[in-house]
Amino acid sequence: MTTLSSAPKPLTRRRALQAPVAALAAGALPAAWAQGTPTASAPAPLQIVGPWEISGLAPASSGYVFTRLQVTETLLDAADDGQPRPALARLWRRSADGLVWQFELRPGARFHDGTPVTAAAVVRSLQAAQVAPALLSQAPIESITAPDEGTVLIRLQRPHTALPALLAHSSTMVLAPASYGADGKVRSIIGSGPYRIAVLVPPQQVETVVFDAYDGPRPAIAAVRYLAASRAETRALMAESGQADLAYGLDPASLRRLQRHAQNPALARRTAVRIASVTLPRTVIVKLNAGLPALRDVRVRQALSLAIDRAGIALALMGDEALAATQLLPPTLGAWHNPHLPPLQHDPEAAARMLRAAGWQRHSDGLRDAEGQPLHLVIRTFVDRPELPLIATALQEQWRLAGMAVKVSIGNSGDVPRGHRDGSLQLALAARNYANVPDPTGTLAGDFAAQGGDWGAMGWHSDTVVQALQELTRTQTPPERTRALRQTITRTLQTELPVIPVAWYRQHVAVAPRLAGVTLDPLERSYRLTSMEWNNP
Amino acid sequence: MSSPPESLRAIPPEGGRTPVAWQSQFHGGAEAVPSVPPRPLRRPVRTVLGIALLGLLALFALLGPWLVGASPEVQDLRNTLAPPSAQHWLGTDVLGRSALARLAHAAQLSLGMALLAAVSAAVPGTLLGIVAAWRGGRTERALLMLSDSVLAIPGLLLVLLIAALAPGALWALYAGLSAALWVEYFRVSRAVARPVLAGDTVQASRLLGFGRGYVLRRHLLPALAPTLGTLLAFTTSQAVLALAALGFVGVGMQPPTPELGLMMTEAMPYYEEAPWLIAAPTALLVWLVAAMMLLNPDRETA
Amino acid sequence: MNPSMSKPWAALVGRRLVQVLAVSLLIGTLCFLMVRALPGDLAMRVAAGRYGYDLVSNAAADAVRAELELDRPGWLALLHWWRDMATFNLGQSLVSQRSVWHEVTHHLGATLRLSAAALAIAFAVGVPLGVWAGLRPKGWVDKASWLMAVVLRALPPFLLSVLLILLVAVQWGFLPAGGDESQASLVLPALTLGLGLAAGLARVTRAAMLEVVVSPFFEFARTKGLSDWQALVRHGLRNAAVPVTAYLGVQALFLVEGALVVETLFAWPGIGHALVHAVFGRDIPVVQGTALCMGVLFVVFNLLVDAACLALDPRHTQKVAK
Repeated sequence: MTTLSSAPKPLTRRRALQAPVAALAAGALPAAWAQGTPTASAPAPLQIVGPWEISGLAPASSGYVFTRLQVTETLLDAADDGQPRPALARLWRRSADGLVWQFELRPGARFHDGTPVTAAAVVRSLQAAQVAPALLSQAPIESITAPDEGTVLIRLQRPHTALPALLAHSSTMVLAPASYGADGKVRSIIGSGPYRIAVLVPPQQVETVVFDAYDGPRPAIAAVRYLAASRAETRALMAESGQADLAYGLDPASLRRLQRHAQNPALARRTAVRIASVTLPRTVIVKLNAGLPALRDVRVRQALSLAIDRAGIALALMGDEALAATQLLPPTLGAWHNPHLPPLQHDPEAAARMLRAAGWQRHSDGLRDAEGQPLHLVIRTFVDRPELPLIATALQEQWRLAGMAVKVSIGNSGDVPRGHRDGSLQLALAARNYANVPDPTGTLAGDFAAQGGDWGAMGWHSDTVVQALQELTRTQTPPERTRALRQTITRTLQTELPVIPVAWYRQHVAVAPRLAGVTLDPLERSYRLTSMEWNNP
Repeated sequence: MSSPPESLRAIPPEGGRTPVAWQSQFHGGAEAVPSVPPRPLRRPVRTVLGIALLGLLALFALLGPWLVGASPEVQDLRNTLAPPSAQHWLGTDVLGRSALARLAHAAQLSLGMALLAAVSAAVPGTLLGIVAAWRGGRTERALLMLSDSVLAIPGLLLVLLIAALAPGALWALYAGLSAALWVEYFRVSRAVARPVLAGDTVQASRLLGFGRGYVLRRHLLPALAPTLGTLLAFTTSQAVLALAALGFVGVGMQPPTPELGLMMTEAMPYYEEAPWLIAAPTALLVWLVAAMMLLNPDRETA
Repeated sequence: MNPSMSKPWAALVGRRLVQVLAVSLLIGTLCFLMVRALPGDLAMRVAAGRYGYDLVSNAAADAVRAELELDRPGWLALLHWWRDMATFNLGQSLVSQRSVWHEVTHHLGATLRLSAAALAIAFAVGVPLGVWAGLRPKGWVDKASWLMAVVLRALPPFLLSVLLILLVAVQWGFLPAGGDESQASLVLPALTLGLGLAAGLARVTRAAMLEVVVSPFFEFARTKGLSDWQALVRHGLRNAAVPVTAYLGVQALFLVEGALVVETLFAWPGIGHALVHAVFGRDIPVVQGTALCMGVLFVVFNLLVDAACLALDPRHTQKVAK
């Protein structure tokens, strides 16, 4: 709108306000400019996405989340092969009779609130970890004391060689005394790791930044964010779109999708992720109730195993035929994997022969025993791992072809231990982590004890195995003897089949191109953030 | 889950406002102002089309499994996620099972179960409605209050909790669905029965000495039949969708039973490499919904 | 507010208050009874929820059982629950051990955000379409919106979301990641819910507009010399707003309930999703708290809608006061 006059314009309220606002804007602009430009080009935080949610702050519930993010530390670490390594404990000693263990703490270790890591704090955390289901409750501990500020003493009732492995489990992570509330429950996570928590929004988000007063080398990655996303497609898409630098828990479908997109030039605009893989010490097993009249006969159990087409299941449902289990423990657990064992086969004719030999007659509608009773079983499984119901369905069909009618019952993972205790369990399908604690001896001792185990044998026991496990647990045996004992155990488990192995697991992780130095921990204890760094663009 | 209610009919000429009605997938149009639709003299094209679609679907459900012949359970682990071919018209799923066979069995199972659920909602609902209309007074008020309260509970919660009483058991699903769906029958049958019972014909019959059974048979049921018939068709389709939604969410039937919602859940991760696996059950449900839509476009089907 | 207006308000609020109490009591007790009747060992389920399938065992379940004092007789627990409800003490989640109130608000916030986005989409798409269709009946917009309304209304949300996924993912090759709460991940779930609403909203708006256009006051406004647009804005919209608001009110339940399937599908951390998890995990306090909040929310929302209708149309006062 044009105005003609050269006369001064009247001072209206509008004009009176215009001037100071302009001045403010003029002054504010440079300030905003200065703030907007980053001083140095600090890269965005490392974004990790995974399926694991943070359900509560108790170490037994979600401790693994924080040890993986290297926010908290345990007394000991574990190497890839399960050998204990120093962590919060700089060195450790065992008395001659094996009953007293002494751990010396790192002198410079500090908690994130500035207080030093004292033996008293460690003792408190360990004592909290002695309540089930924390794994430390498995050890025959008599007392945990702190004779001085830098030493922790653990006294045992019996020798227990797996103690270092137990002390590497996330449920024994060490928290500062200030983490506990008045009722003894954990209220906040104040650990001693190279990263400290900046933001914690359970169940899905954690943000961490580097802890300046850490007494080890400073990591190259300055800030990390973890997000829980429950669908695998979501995680894969976040990796592709660049939203996530590390995407854990890729299922075979997402893996194939990522591989397809990588080869498709039309989709070149997306981030070219690469896939890192590691075989995990986790096995899909069929736990069975060997106390049932039908399953008491080892030939029936072997027939069940021979009827399983493991290669087919591994190919169709896990993406790789090589994951078909040949024995219970996968090659990752090098010391326990026995290459000399005859592998588990898929042989329907041999299965039929075994069943006939065990007294089961094949009729038109399936197997029947001498009295004419059909073979009906129920297999329980759960949806926490999405491939399990599918594997159960595949097994059901394969056993149907062999003449056994198996019904699939999908419920809660708690139904399996409950069925074990009240005897109602017939078959169960689970994914057992044999390196829950880095040394499988402890897990195996729990699963194949004389009275059986919640996730192991039921209605079956073998004195050979029990004695061998006891010897391994209680005494520090020389390497030759250790190997012999382990081979005895694996051979017995392979022939007697108290649990039937089906397949092993491989973990696939999508890695963004801007990230270097990524290695995967087969024991799933740590994301190994401290050894990662940014690729120079 | 549901769509807007359509009992907001065209504006009546007097300018008064019709009471708004609402409806959810699980409660199903409960507060609808009752209407006994006048029988049309000539069925419009869309009604014929709707009936035809519905009929085809029912035929597929009845005869499909027998026609397709292949078993929905036989697996072929080395031929998974195969695209449609001469051997498998709809390809194979993640376990190598014939998708077409599973679809046919799923249609049969879902429609059959839904019909059963609709009937198990219709019987108590209609009975209660008739009782309310007959007795009136305190009984009627009490029943009205009961139905109002049931409506206030999120329908899904009701079905979820009842279905969780026995996971995977069919009776629990029926019970849950009928607990949520009976209110509609109650309201409609009460609304239809009231004018009939207050009318002259029934008065005359009572005066002449005919008993309750006669009144029921000769007066009430003929009046209720057409409305209830349509309602049954709609409730069945609602139940199919509800069952599919429940199967999708994880409550409901257990694998390896072929059920539409379950098939959709299983096929979801493969939406890119095998979209036909999820497209097929989706198309079936869309078919059902389209048939319902054509039969009465003003009504909610979801 | 002048005294003659306060009576209907009082009646309105009073009625809804009674409804809130009745609904709370009914839902609370019903949930309590039903959840206790659920099969499966409660302590074991809670232990499985807390510790995961790698660590759950009979020893863990025993510890949980002792901690939760699950051996109390049923009637005593019911009395305790009624007392807790009265003092707004919803307890602690058995699985995560955080307060139920915290859990519910966290999840409810996410659901409300989703509902708000869906409503925004519905408004943005439905109302203009409905207004246009009402002003020009029988035009192509009218016919197109009728078709869209019929199709979208008939499709239940989970079907619609699957179709959207197939369209978006297969066609354009991306699926906005669900699960996290960023802006982008809100798009598809909100679109699913919002489109269904938009369709019905368009038809309702159209019907209301039609009525307005033939009404005497609109004629009068035009006679006065106001343009179509001015008459619409000054006189028409407020009248049209009443049935639209009432309609939205009845959709409240649809949004919260229907959001369940959408939330599960897109892994949106809302209250429906949390409810399913809680039922599976036998997390009784969370089930009870969630159900209560959903029921109360429904009543409160209806109250707001009634209030809005009252404010928009003073003629309502006679009807409400009855």
